[in-house]
Formats: sequence, C-alpha cells, structure tokens
Amino acid sequence: MNRSQIFTGLKVADFSWAAAGPIVTKQLADNGATVIKVESTRHPDSVRLGGPFAGDKPGLNRSGFFADFNSSKLGIAVDMGHPRAAEVIERLVRWADVVADSFRPGIMERWGFGYERLSEINPSIIMLSSSLYGAGGPWSEHPGFGAQGQALAGIHGLTGWPDRPPAMPKGAYTDSVSPRYATAALVAALIHRDRTGEGQWLEMSQVEATVNFLAPELLDLQLTGHVTRRDGNVDERAVLHGVFPCRGEDRWIAIEVWHEPSWERLLAVLGEELPDPLLAETEAVRRSRRDEVEAAVGRLTASRDPFELMATLRRAGVSAGVALRGSDLFTDEALVGRQHFWPLAHPEMGELAYNGPAYRFEATPSALTKAAPCLGEDTRRVLCDVLHLDPDEIADLEKSGLLE
Amino acid sequence: MTGTGLDVVGGQGPLTGCRVLELSHRAAAVAGRTLADLGAEVVKIEPPGGEASRALAPTAPLPDGQEIGLFWLAFNVSKRSVTLALDTTEGRRQFAELARTADVVVTDFERLTLAENDRLADLARRANPALVWTEIWPFGRGEPFEAWPAGDLTLQALGGHLLLNGDVDRPPVRLGLPVALLQGGAEAASAAVMAYYHRLRTGQGQRVDVSVQECITWTLLNTTMTWQLLQREEVRGGAVRKERANKFYTRLVWPVADGFVQFGPVGGGGGVVRERSYAALVAWMAEDGIADPLLTERDWNGSGQFDVSQEDYDAVSELIAGFLATKTIDELMARAVPERILLAPVSDVAQVLDNPHLVTRGFFELLDDPSRGTSLRYPGEWVRMTRTPLRPVSPAPAPGQDTAEILGALGEPADGGAA
Repeated sequence: MNRSQIFTGLKVADFSWAAAGPIVTKQLADNGATVIKVESTRHPDSVRLGGPFAGDKPGLNRSGFFADFNSSKLGIAVDMGHPRAAEVIERLVRWADVVADSFRPGIMERWGFGYERLSEINPSIIMLSSSLYGAGGPWSEHPGFGAQGQALAGIHGLTGWPDRPPAMPKGAYTDSVSPRYATAALVAALIHRDRTGEGQWLEMSQVEATVNFLAPELLDLQLTGHVTRRDGNVDERAVLHGVFPCRGEDRWIAIEVWHEPSWERLLAVLGEELPDPLLAETEAVRRSRRDEVEAAVGRLTASRDPFELMATLRRAGVSAGVALRGSDLFTDEALVGRQHFWPLAHPEMGELAYNGPAYRFEATPSALTKAAPCLGEDTRRVLCDVLHLDPDEIADLEKSGLLE
Repeated sequence: MTGTGLDVVGGQGPLTGCRVLELSHRAAAVAGRTLADLGAEVVKIEPPGGEASRALAPTAPLPDGQEIGLFWLAFNVSKRSVTLALDTTEGRRQFAELARTADVVVTDFERLTLAENDRLADLARRANPALVWTEIWPFGRGEPFEAWPAGDLTLQALGGHLLLNGDVDRPPVRLGLPVALLQGGAEAASAAVMAYYHRLRTGQGQRVDVSVQECITWTLLNTTMTWQLLQREEVRGGAVRKERANKFYTRLVWPVADGFVQFGPVGGGGGVVRERSYAALVAWMAEDGIADPLLTERDWNGSGQFDVSQEDYDAVSELIAGFLATKTIDELMARAVPERILLAPVSDVAQVLDNPHLVTRGFFELLDDPSRGTSLRYPGEWVRMTRTPLRPVSPAPAPGQDTAEILGALGEPADGGAA
C-alpha cells in the first residue's frame, strides 16, 4: 500500500500572492509538494500587510490572514527587481515542475520570467498565472482584489435585500471560487505532462472562473429575459426558507423546509400551542403570506437557544443551522469531528489553528506540516540544499542585497 | 483501464481518456461539468426517464414547449447519458460493469442516501479497485454528522459565512446563489483530479469525500484567524462594514449616477496599489474642484491607516461619496482602468453577460443545440491552457441517449472502445 501523499516529490516555485494563488499552491503543499514561496521585503506578499495581526501589532511576519494560505510552504527572499535575480531564479525554475503566479498580467514578464522565458529554461515547466481579469482584454491590467472581482462577476449584486444596496459578501469571493478551478486545471496539466512530457501555460481570470457559478442565471436571462435579482433569503420553491432570531445577542438560525411533512415536524418542535393561527393555515395560504409566516416563526424561535433548537430540528429531520460566528467554528461538532483545524506553531505568532482542506483522501491523507514561513525564513537552506549553490556564492549574493 | 475518451464528445483537454461516472442532483453535476471541460468523458447515470434535476425549478420553456431546469441545463452540457435502473439486480450488475471501465465516480448527497451511496461504492470499487470514488456531503463523512440534514442555506450558516453578510439592523443574508452546492461541486472536481493523478502514478484508487461546510468555511478567508489573534468577532455589513479586522467601518458599495460600484478607497489593507489608486482618485476629484485638505493631509492607505478613527474615515468618505454620485459607471470605468483606480461595477446578471471585458476576451461560448432548438451563450474557457485547451461545450444529453452505445461496448475486450 502506497502511503505517500499525492504530491510527494512535486516541486513548485511559488510567486503567487494575496489569496487566489496561494490557496492553490497550499493544496499542493498540504498534499506533499515542496513549495518554495518567493518574496522580498521590497515586494512581500500583499496579505502580509493585512490584518489580523498577532497582538494587533502589524508586521511582515505577524499576519494571520497571510498565515492561513501558506501552511506547509518554504519561504525565500529574492528581490526580483535586483540585477542578479536571475542567478537564483533560473536555478529555481530549472528545479521546478510548476511555477505559479497571481500578479496583474505583465509583472512576471517585467521581471524577465514570463512563460516564454520559463519554458526556455525548463521546457516541461507548467506555469499557472491567475489574475483577477486575465491576460488580454480591455481591463486586463486593471488592478483589483477579490472584492472587485465578486462585484464584476455578479455574486455581489445578487446578495442582499431588494430595498437596500447590494450587500457586500464577506471575503473576496473570486478568491474562494477560482482556486478550486485552478487546482483542477493545474493537476490535469500535470497528468498531461506525465503522459507526453509537455509543459504549458495556464492562464486564468479569477472573475471568469467565478462566472461559472452564474451559468443558470445567465441561461435564464437568455431563455426568458428574466434578470435574477437579490431577494434576501427567499427561495420561492421552499415552504419556509429564512433566517430567524434566537436567544442571545445577534444569534440566528437558518431553517429550510421543503415539504409539508417537514413543516409539520418544524411546528412540533416549535411548540404545541401555536400562538399564531396563520401557522396552522394551508400551504397555499401560508405561501401567499410569506412575510407574516416568517415573522410568526421568528416569534417562536426568538426565545430558543440556537444550538439546542438546531439539535432538536436535526433530530426531527429538518435542515437547520446556527449562523456560526468565527469563534463558534472551533467548537462546531462537525468541524471538530473532521479535525478541520490544524494547530501549528509559528516563531512570531505562536500556535494557531490553521484551516485544513475540505476534502479527505482515504489512502493519501493531507497534512499541514508547518506554519506559514516568515519572510525569507528558508533562503539559506533552499539555496544551499535545494539549488546547490556553494557557500561562497550565497555569501556573495547576500552581500549584493539580492536576498532581502 | 480507461474509458472511450476519443469518441464523440471526447478527444480534447488534459483529461482525455478519463471516464467519469456521475450520479448527481446538483453538486456532483457541477463537478462533472468541470471534469468534462477538462476533457474527461463524463457519463451521467440516470434513472429510466431521466434524473429529477432535469425538471428542478426554476425552469424555463424551450422552443418545443418543454420546461427545463436551468441549473440542470447549465451544468450538464458536454456529457453523455446512460439510464440504469439501479434499484434492480440487473441495473446494479450493469453499473458494476460500467465501473470497471471508469476512472472516476462523482456522487452527491441530494441524489443518493448514505446507504445507497455506500452500496454502490462497494459494488463499483470491488469491480474496479483502482477507481477514484468521489462523494459530496453536507458535513463530509464521519459520525454522527454525516447523517445530519442540511440544504444550501443551512450550510452557508454553518460554514460561518451567513452571519457576515447583510445590514446589521436585519437578519444575516445569504449569498443569492446556491454557493454551498456550487463550491462543493467545484472542490470535488479538484479533489477528484488530484486522486486521479495519484491513481495514474501508482495504480491506487481511493475514496474521496468533500465537506460542503468546510468549503464554505474556506470562503471566510480570515475570520477564524481574526478570532484567534484578536478575540474579535467579525461583524456583518451591507454596503458599509468592518473589514479585515479594521478598527473602523468602511463603505464598500457606493451609489453612483446609474447604479453601484464596489470601491475601498481608504483602509482595508495596504500595499502600493491601494496608495496609487487613492492618489489617482484624489487627483481626479481635484480636477472637479473637490480638494479638501482632509483628502491629502493624512496617510490613509500606508502605515498610517492603522491609526484612522471612525470620525476621520466618515469625514473623508463623505467627500468621496459626493464625487462618485455625480459619475456613471461608464464614466468611472473609462478613467479607472487606465489610471488604475481600484473600483469595479456591481454587475447584475445582464451586465455580466454584456461586460465589455468578458465579451472582448471571448469568454462566453455560443452553443447551438439543434435537438432543443436553442442557441445560448455559456461561460466558456475559464482557463486558457496553451497545449490542452478546454473542450468546447457540446449539448446536454437526452436521457439515456448513450445507453445502447456505452452498454453495448461493455462486452468488448478490456479496453473497449479506446483507440
């Protein structure tokens, strides 16, 4: 039985930054690949500058935002704008199977390491370039983050209440969709390379990958002229589909009822003496008075403990979920049962629970092997043990200011 | 042993030669579509007459008057269809035979019960130990949670995302797409390709399971770290919210003359890109006669951003809001793109389909489907691969349209129709 991990032996030179790129290379690293992340103090990964910071004190090696996307990776410092950068980078590219970047299009070329040059150095290299808008097209070099991406991709506009401006989805949704597609394509390219020896360039727009999710609404528009709009938590198909208040400050439970038998079970859980005759009405009447029904249900849930209510509804076979807070996730029974969080020790940030993958491989378990690297933490070791530079060369490069 | 990759709908893309069996309602269909785009031969296994999701609302009428589920039509292009009565002995025997010729199976929790999934997995994996069996569950496999009921809204809640969307004076609001199912499907595709890569290198098949809840937790990006490092719970917001562990609330959705734009001119992260974006905005405002010293007397996006107070922020954002309200989306984008001002339109569905950037890139791919009498634009080449481009979309199958051909080939020599 082969117990090694899926990407044991795979070598990755990782220039990617922010979220969308590093989340892809994290999948490789957490499954056994050697991933060498290249940054510099002049050009650090931008999320190192974004909070939350350990002790609320900003610092390049103190961002939890950065940490979560960069488990199991090595970190080296190479100033890509330095005249001698190629002395290290060419060796790194010769060593690598995969090069990843997630800059605005044109940055790798400006540094002299666009795909064309990479493939001269290493003809079988696979390069993944993921950018918000993609290389080519009028907005290609428009800067942006996932927040702009999710707006352009339609996710943002579909979220919120019809009588209010669209509510900004938490996070940066293109950063949460595109890595899944990018990983599938990248690993498929590895399969093609194993078969043929051919490398290639994978160029991805994070916005386009995210628009995949909008396909049903795009077809609806074309077939019927209907433009889907944001509509709170309403789902027309359901008997009940909403988010209801519970006991405690800002405590809410999502409840979905799709069939009448399930509605009966919900009522049984919410109490035998129904204070509102509307809830005893026929399905047709209740559907015609949705807002009132939701308000009546909310009056019944408002005094209930959210977690007890969820457990009771689950036992009754009703789909219900507490709107979990950040802190709740660490004690959620399913996430704990799945061992979703991985405690990892970091020299400046101490021990933190990192998010692990959403998939489980029965035969080749994933493993987060180390906390995110400090900037340049592994420079010496990588130059010496991986790229086989001799100590004099390394000392010389250090003196030149390249390795900062 | 590989499938008949070089047949009608195969033959292009990096997964050429990979046969996938798909037992889906929604999530596994998303996975299957992704694998089909990458060149796999995806065979839907449907009950006689077709699977339930073909008619799942919301539906739209086709030219022949037939109603078709929009989700189904979106995510089932480029596939084949075999109908099998899996509740009969003969149907199960044929499924096992088919599994012998397959490389990957994807299933989801809306299609199969746990018991049915496990029965089929046993059957298929016994027939073909090298199979990659990929299953999507609300909470993944494991006791006791694998049996808990959960739909999309529930999973948006339990992944921790729901609480963080919407105005503070109202209940939390979901993302207006079934993102839990979509994310679960996309993740399953990625996990299946990883396991298939391993299979090709070692011969070892395995079972892979995906937790939709964990997929949603991944969309938070920094919420769990914010709690651990600062003991601070993130607070939801609508157009105005507290982002990235900022100490102050920032406006992220700005009314403009003809809609809304997304823009975080001040605060919310660092980096030279934000500083330049802000400088270009301030220069433009000055041209329009808005030159309050407040705009420039502070370091709003550099290291000074960490000392910004709510009062300071509100004052500067009022100036910016007044400026933006006078501009249309087109006016804003015409200057934002060349000057790299970090804003983007908050598109509705029609604006996505008409977006000049996406249209110029040729992202939408026109699919003529003579059997349905439709000609529709689909999201197309979501990754541009120089050697193995994605397979162009082809029409979604009629129920069982490939049953005779695919089952007929089962009696053939071990590698069946493979070239």
